Amino acid sequence: MDLRILLSLAFAALSAAQLTITVGLPAKPNPFLLGPSTHATLSSLHKRLEAPLTTVNTFNFHNVTADSYLLDVHCATEAFHPLRVDVGENGEVKAWETYRGNEWANKGEEVPVKSEGGARGISVKGAGSKIFFVERPAFSVFSILKNPMILMGLVTMGIVFGMPYLMDNRMNPLVYGLANIVAVDPELRAEFEERQKESPMNAIMGNAQAGQNPLGNFDMAAYLAGSGKKEGVKR
Amino acid sequence: MRRSLQSALLLGLSSLVAAVYKDEVGQIDFHHALVGLPQSETTFFHRPKKDEKASLLYTLSDVGVLGAVNPNSGALVWRHQIFPGISHGGGHLRAPEGENWIIAAHGQQVQSWAALSGRNLWQTEFNGQVKDLEVMELTESARKDVLVLFEEDGVTVLRRLHGVFGTVVWEFREVSKDIPLQVSTSLSNVYVISLHGSPSSYSLKVTSLEPATGGRVDHWTVGTKGDVHGPQDVMFVGANSAAPILAWASNDLAKLNVHILGTKSKQDFALPADTVSVEIHAPHLTQSQPHFLVHTRTTTGNKGEVFHTNLKSGQITKAYELPLLPGLGAFSTSSEGANVYFTRVTNDEVLVVSSDSHSVLARDPLKSDARVEAVHAVSEVIKKAGGKEFAIRSATVTKSQDWVLIRNGQIDWTRSEGLSGAVAAAWAEIPEAENLAKVLAEEAHTNPLDAYIHRLTRHINDLQYLPEYLATIPTRIIESVTGGAVVVSKTTGLHRDSFGFNKIIILATRRGRFYALDTGNHGEIVWSADVFPQAPGSTLDVKGILVNDSEGTVTVRGANGEYAVIKVADGQVVESQSGSDLTAVSATAVVESEGSKWLLPLGQDKKPTGDALKDLTLDQTIVIREDDDSIKGVKFVNQDGEIVKNEIWQLQLLPGQKIASIAKTPAHDPIASIGRVLGDRSVNYKYLNPNVVVIAAIDTTASALSVYLLDTVTGQLLASQVHEGVDGDKDISCTLSENWYSCAFFGQYTLNDGTDRDIKGYQVVVSDLYESPAANDRGPLGDAETFSPLDPVDTPTGVPLPWVVSQTWILSEPLNNLSVTQTRQGISSRQLLAYLPESHAILGITRHGIDPRRPVGRDPSAAEIEAEGLARYTPAIFIDGRNLLSHERDVVGVRGIVTTPAVVESTSLLVAYGIDIFGSQISPSGQFDILDKGFNKVTLLTTVLALTWGVVLLAPMVRSEKADQSDVGSIFVRKEHDDVIERINHGYHMLDL
Repeated sequence: MDLRILLSLAFAALSAAQLTITVGLPAKPNPFLLGPSTHATLSSLHKRLEAPLTTVNTFNFHNVTADSYLLDVHCATEAFHPLRVDVGENGEVKAWETYRGNEWANKGEEVPVKSEGGARGISVKGAGSKIFFVERPAFSVFSILKNPMILMGLVTMGIVFGMPYLMDNRMNPLVYGLANIVAVDPELRAEFEERQKESPMNAIMGNAQAGQNPLGNFDMAAYLAGSGKKEGVKR
Repeated sequence: MRRSLQSALLLGLSSLVAAVYKDEVGQIDFHHALVGLPQSETTFFHRPKKDEKASLLYTLSDVGVLGAVNPNSGALVWRHQIFPGISHGGGHLRAPEGENWIIAAHGQQVQSWAALSGRNLWQTEFNGQVKDLEVMELTESARKDVLVLFEEDGVTVLRRLHGVFGTVVWEFREVSKDIPLQVSTSLSNVYVISLHGSPSSYSLKVTSLEPATGGRVDHWTVGTKGDVHGPQDVMFVGANSAAPILAWASNDLAKLNVHILGTKSKQDFALPADTVSVEIHAPHLTQSQPHFLVHTRTTTGNKGEVFHTNLKSGQITKAYELPLLPGLGAFSTSSEGANVYFTRVTNDEVLVVSSDSHSVLARDPLKSDARVEAVHAVSEVIKKAGGKEFAIRSATVTKSQDWVLIRNGQIDWTRSEGLSGAVAAAWAEIPEAENLAKVLAEEAHTNPLDAYIHRLTRHINDLQYLPEYLATIPTRIIESVTGGAVVVSKTTGLHRDSFGFNKIIILATRRGRFYALDTGNHGEIVWSADVFPQAPGSTLDVKGILVNDSEGTVTVRGANGEYAVIKVADGQVVESQSGSDLTAVSATAVVESEGSKWLLPLGQDKKPTGDALKDLTLDQTIVIREDDDSIKGVKFVNQDGEIVKNEIWQLQLLPGQKIASIAKTPAHDPIASIGRVLGDRSVNYKYLNPNVVVIAAIDTTASALSVYLLDTVTGQLLASQVHEGVDGDKDISCTLSENWYSCAFFGQYTLNDGTDRDIKGYQVVVSDLYESPAANDRGPLGDAETFSPLDPVDTPTGVPLPWVVSQTWILSEPLNNLSVTQTRQGISSRQLLAYLPESHAILGITRHGIDPRRPVGRDPSAAEIEAEGLARYTPAIFIDGRNLLSHERDVVGVRGIVTTPAVVESTSLLVAYGIDIFGSQISPSGQFDILDKGFNKVTLLTTVLALTWGVVLLAPMVRSEKADQSDVGSIFVRKEHDDVIERINHGYHMLDL
């Protein structure tokens, strides 16, 4: 392949006394996959040169006259960064990155120019694949679950419905294990049950221990108001 | 920083576009990817890979597209628009036998293309025009070279180009006044054939050259006795074969003169009586037998005669003839080794004969649907393994301008290549056979009793459709539940739909053929009609096309005075008039009189032709364009039976200026809002004047583009802008809508703001027009509801001139054929549409994205963002793939974009025409009035069901909780303030209810 480029450069140099500019493509995106309609243009005032994509992934501009050109590579699927290509009267070629929407003198990094007889070679850089379609927001359970409101609701629901079971040691294997330990030591068990009775959570749950009125020793209004036990709400 | 800016803008833009969803492809849009009508001399089968049998079909069409088509499916493999713009025939295309490249030449260029991939191998450009191209099959080396004949200012130049690199091997120049005609090679020589002498008595001059060096060997002239009048009269075939020949028919088409190159004599043969045209078919391979076939078409039919050339004696003898058959008929040559086969496509069969004898080798009777009227064909004849049977494939161009592939007597595929080269398009409603509105109007006009009876019978009549309707209800319900988007309609055939997406687009091609495409049915052809058949070399120039939806007709006027009224429903020509130079029409104007619109044709003198205005008075001012440099407003007045043109105003362009583009307001341009609400709740009133045109005038030498906004009633110049450094050689395009206009061009200039910055690139300028620079102020108009530009205004500022806000952006690509979307009521925001000639795509930019009202050099204030959604001005617009309405499609050679509103407000329909035809639907503000495909009915139903289930499930739980909590409440009551808790309890009871 390289040999062919060299040869074509050499022949181009032989055939035309005028300048030939060969534009090469980067290795990424794979230049062999680009469509045949890919082409490059050199534009300036009253000038427009066009070169189709060759089999060796280059664009050859023949008979380029002196001017300051805007080099664009047009491809159906990939985007490429534009370059500023200055061709001097003596056939000197210089190339820089250029930025659209900025003044022409605002040049970026200089792009190296390879010289081969009457031909000059420069390379462009890829700017990513083109995206043509908008994804339609598909229905997904996760999109609903990601919503913080839903998450908060779920957590609350988990507490409301799950806690009673969690607390019921007969039902929950986690607590069941704990209860087993307690069962071994009657004193510990008694302490545990005492704690459970006093736990405000039980009061909220309401139905934690069968046969016990959880509100017997708990004043919820007072608890919520942050005051002491059975003090009542101050007027 | 720059990058981030760019990406920010990119993101901003992409969020603004109504982009295409992948599942909509093929649903909302359609695309006819065409190559154009194949030309007989530049179409052939060729094997793109040396060692594989599969071949592709190559053509260089009459619109200048070089394309490769898969002969199995008819699918496009690759194509290039090799001519700049849409060509009018011409060009040369050859393929060397057994090589993986093809060679094309046109204008000054010679290009070699890889046959399979469509990529370029080399291209060169020379001074002078290419006259002929030939492949040199036999060279001193193993490769094959290319011979190109040029004419350079009266100098005949023949160049032999290196087949692999395109470099010049040798060059032969001859300074003479001869017209270079053709180049040919035989086994031993290269021949240059030119026309020598004067047009009244041309003789053919043959120069033979040495193939290796290009040195002259010999030259001789062959007298034609005045039978040859130009290059088109000489037929030339059999390049590269053992005996290439030159042939020309006598003036009266009675005799055919044949000259074998290399000999110095000619022979003549009698042609059948009533001969209309003669064509010669011969193989072009060195190993092929030197046989050729003469195909003559007479007034009644066509016949073929096969001739053999004796290489030793140079004598031509007639071997046999194929019978005269009715129809045009098509012959084609194919060769396999030394064998030469002639394939004949007749009206009812395809048959193959060997060039040796007249026995038919294979015969495929055509099925009834494959009976096409062949104009020309190329065929591939392959001997099957047994050695007896033949497989024949004929790619035939038919009289109805289709390209069909006939195999085994059947049509494998059809490409409607006649659709290419469209020059005008117009939207039409689908005519309805039974128009309810008409029936109702009829009823309203009769007496009540009759109307009642009529109505009753109509309803009884309608009852017959009831069972059918009832039967569809279950499926409809199921479909409406399961189907995502609203199914427009399942009815096949041409029909209207309730959303107005189904419309007919009428296309006129330059070949004089008219097509109607149904946008509701993937752009399928509804009908096509050859209304103005064009002679070879001439094209139809449509000056005006107007659809009358109430009558269901379309009126067309051509430049030569052609006139036709065609029915939209079936393409039936109601009224037609063929044109002549005497009735030439320079322009047409759409005029409205007595409530209907019609086309007023204007002759060469810019006066109405014929008696178009005989008994009509027209009070409208008509804007006419005189030549290239002046615009006039005229009124036609009927003075004593004579139409007099009264000039009202005139805009004379400056010397050197030429009109580059004219934009007028679209025919349908409703304005939903007369003002624009700003961030501080004040209003800028739009300058809304329906009688304006935008004229862009380019001065190519000074590279200055002047854009004028003219009032067409008074000729008053409302606004003007001058853009320096504009390239007049590149496309300049303008469009106008509502209260804004836009122009796109290539500009290279220095900013005049003192910063001395140079700007270079493709640009788009958008200008908004307001009634006054101040908000909540209508300037001199005050509270006036209407204003007339003819009336004086009692304010010192004089005639109300618009306040122009303008902004320019640099684009990453050129734009042309600017157009604007149209919606029914103009509530949806508009989109600027344009063709991207470099990307071969249709671009849609929302008006918001190119709104000239935006903060420059500062970020927008919170109010501006919130109320107006303004973005800071950034000078570059990067064209994102999501802005392309044609997404991945490769739309080639667009020369016009037409839009029309659908019934639903959100949607506008568009069709781009030229070489390809592309149609789509756009919703500039999103599909706010119909459910789109993203709406999932199943999800909705599932959610509702889940909620119901949840409520049912939770109800007992809530009830038991509540019972507990009422207890809590009662404790409270006892303990604390009773009155408050009473209310709580009351609340609980209410809940209980």
